[in-house]
Amino acid sequence: MMTAPISVSGLVKTFGRTRALDGLDLTVDTGEVHGFLGPNGAGKSTTIRILLGLLCADAGTARLLGGDPWDDATRLHSRLAYVPGDVTLWPGLSGGEVIDLLLQSRGGADRARRQELIERFDLDPRVKARAYSKGNRQKVALIAALASDAELLILDEPTAGLDPLMEAVFRDVVRETRRRGDRTVLLSSHILTEVEELCDRVTIIRDGRTIDTGSLPDLRHLTRTSIQAELSASPGELSGATGELAELPGVHDLRTENGLVRFDVEADALGPALRCLASLGVRSLVSRPPTLEQVFLRHYDRAGAARAEAAR
Amino acid sequence: MNALTGTARSARLALRRERGIAPWWIILLVALALVMVSYINRNMSTPELMATYTTMINRNSFFRALGGGFVVPELGYMAAWRSGGFLYVLNGLAALMAVVRYTRADEESGRIELLRAGVLGRRAPLTAALLVAGGVGFAGGAATTIALIGIGLDPAGSIVYGAAITMAGWVFGAIAAVAAQLAQTARTARAIGLSVLGIAYILRYAGDASGQYWMKYISPIGWSHLVEPYWSDRWWLLAIPAAVTAALTAIAYRLAGRRDLGAGLIHERRGPATAPGLRGPISLSWRLHRGLLITWAAGIACFAAAAGGVSTLAYQFTEAPGVTVDNLLKAFGGSLGGGAVDFALWAIILIFAHVIALYPVLMVQRLRADEIAGRAEAVQATPMTRLRWAAGQLVVTGLGTAALLAVAGVVFGTFYAFLVGDPASDIARLLAGTLGTIPAAWLVGAVCMLAYGLVPRASVAIGWIIWIAVAVVGRAAGPLYGLWGGTPFEPFHYIPNTVAGAPFDPAPALTMVALSALLLGGGLLALRRRDFG
Ligand SMILES: Nc1ncnc2c1ncn2[C@@H]1O[C@H](COP(=O)(O)OP(=O)(O)O)[C@@H](O)[C@H]1O
Ligand SMILES: [Mg+2]
Repeated sequence: MMTAPISVSGLVKTFGRTRALDGLDLTVDTGEVHGFLGPNGAGKSTTIRILLGLLCADAGTARLLGGDPWDDATRLHSRLAYVPGDVTLWPGLSGGEVIDLLLQSRGGADRARRQELIERFDLDPRVKARAYSKGNRQKVALIAALASDAELLILDEPTAGLDPLMEAVFRDVVRETRRRGDRTVLLSSHILTEVEELCDRVTIIRDGRTIDTGSLPDLRHLTRTSIQAELSASPGELSGATGELAELPGVHDLRTENGLVRFDVEADALGPALRCLASLGVRSLVSRPPTLEQVFLRHYDRAGAARAEAAR
Repeated sequence: MNALTGTARSARLALRRERGIAPWWIILLVALALVMVSYINRNMSTPELMATYTTMINRNSFFRALGGGFVVPELGYMAAWRSGGFLYVLNGLAALMAVVRYTRADEESGRIELLRAGVLGRRAPLTAALLVAGGVGFAGGAATTIALIGIGLDPAGSIVYGAAITMAGWVFGAIAAVAAQLAQTARTARAIGLSVLGIAYILRYAGDASGQYWMKYISPIGWSHLVEPYWSDRWWLLAIPAAVTAALTAIAYRLAGRRDLGAGLIHERRGPATAPGLRGPISLSWRLHRGLLITWAAGIACFAAAAGGVSTLAYQFTEAPGVTVDNLLKAFGGSLGGGAVDFALWAIILIFAHVIALYPVLMVQRLRADEIAGRAEAVQATPMTRLRWAAGQLVVTGLGTAALLAVAGVVFGTFYAFLVGDPASDIARLLAGTLGTIPAAWLVGAVCMLAYGLVPRASVAIGWIIWIAVAVVGRAAGPLYGLWGGTPFEPFHYIPNTVAGAPFDPAPALTMVALSALLLGGGLLALRRRDFG
């Protein structure tokens, strides 16, 4: 039986009086690109450091590639590659030296793949690390991780500091990896579009706790689609017709102006709403799928509302 | 907006940061100046004693070179002669570091870019840095003058001495200003400044040692020595450093006005594109820290060669005033048959051993530095986890320490043997004596490793405290000043003085090796069990 490359449950970690992790759950399945989302300070890096055996959890269980991340660190690390959130390098080593160091201490490297990535990321490997910008240091760690043949890639906010062009290269490379399907990727990020574009499944955390997890369609299902329609009905008819639309359960924030109707609709109510629109005669229709941003905000709203409730 | 806009603001900012740095330099200068006066008062309390000392010093080129030129039996002159060699260098160093800190280092970190986006002229940071560094240099000189007048030394001489100290600061501030414009990084700028300082010192030293005084006239450090405060008080000689300071400042301004922000005339060297041999913890540690070891080896070799020259002095120990010799005899053990020369040789070997014991301390501190900077994090995620990573460093450290002691022993032994002793027997004898101290130096490093594993946050401070306790308060300095006669925690005094004929006994060495292994094991175990980073 294949065990999940990463499975974490009820993880707790405190630093002095800060509770960085407070019962966090995370499961990453083989072959998927898993988005690990959360605002700054949510506990993404702490979780990853526990998975790498750098920190010892206070409570909860963490399994990595079928082993214990703390006890079996040395053995497990030959099967994974990691890009830290804040890449700092030895100032006197060149980028090429660092890449080779990381690749070779994991055992062997595909020289052609290394060269290809250096070219795609447009890195000058002979520059000493002290002269690299943050983005270039990030590239060094990314190339070393992506050029390896590790079965698990752990990337902690890997595009922070990359310019948009390089971010696109990064997304291409991850998509290629995903297509091959034999590697698992844990991608921590607070950039929603990146996760949306790359990930099969997502875990959203906040204040050290998991607040949602699932595939993107699953998560979208819970959110609203924005619709903007131009109707053929005359302005007079319009108010009556939209009244009917506004009555439908699951339709929110309906507004009309200049013959345009805009509203948000829950996934369940999408069918009835479209039928209603069709009966009114649609001239044009724009539908925008929910962004992860909305998924995210919805959780915040919920948490915020709960807090406001508690405070009252 | 002109090129100087914002100078006042930059200077205020620099002053605020300097508040935590400059006072320490000034305290160090004043303390050294006062300590030397009290040293002379204590050891040369009568005119006869002082005369004995001065005769001995004037007869030995090594001693003459230490303080510069010659000595005369006069308290102020002796004190300035004794402390000047340090104070000129230290004040130069303080100014040099300050100028680089507020020019190139700020530019590199982007602080200047931030400020320049506001209202900051092209030449404002340089002006602010020179003003602040010049002020700090002046404060160092003035504070020394006041302190020396305060304890009753000749006011005119004290003012001239203070001026010589101040000028040493200013001239190196100006040198650093030019270096900061030439180099592209603060590191290179400092390296240029420190090289000039080093060359200036060597020229001055060599000039005094050889009697070729023209070498002092081309050395910025030499200029201050030439003033000879409390004796000839040739203050007008300070016109040389003043003119050089002015000329260098003008050059720095021209360079600053012409170049782009962040640019320099000296480009950074590039590294290799690949590193096929870089795998595993030992090769990593070696790659990272070989520069440190090579620098140390070169420095130790220079000092060992110089110490070999002191061998001429060894014979004069018999003529030295009784206190020093008595202290040495009491402190360094060995059989009485060995004679004073052998005791002096052993003393020198111990000084080398104490200095080299700093190397393992620094190497263990580098582990901690890598950990907090996060540099080790990416490596930790490979199979090079922290046990292997730290163990690699320890291997390089252990072998490096042994290698440094070997360099000291070979160079010192060879110079001594060819200048004074007998090449056939002395090289081996001195080398063996030096190598015998290896376990004690290891032990110092092993204590640091235990501290690093157990109490990482305090480990850097603990490392320094241990080294200072061993080396400064330990056997080498303590006995000379009659302060202290050894302690059970100072490992070097357990090593038999085979140089002076004590029989070789493997027990202390074996005990120390075993103890080191125990401490290292404990340190590694603690490191394995705690959170990393
Ligand atoms: N070594 C540490 N010492 C003290 N607090 C820490 C440490 N590491 C993380 N924290 C705290 O734990 C929380 C989670 O941090 P982190 O895991 O870095 O968040 P993220 O990576 O999601 O931005 C933050 O409040 C942070 O301040
Ligand atoms: Mg983080």
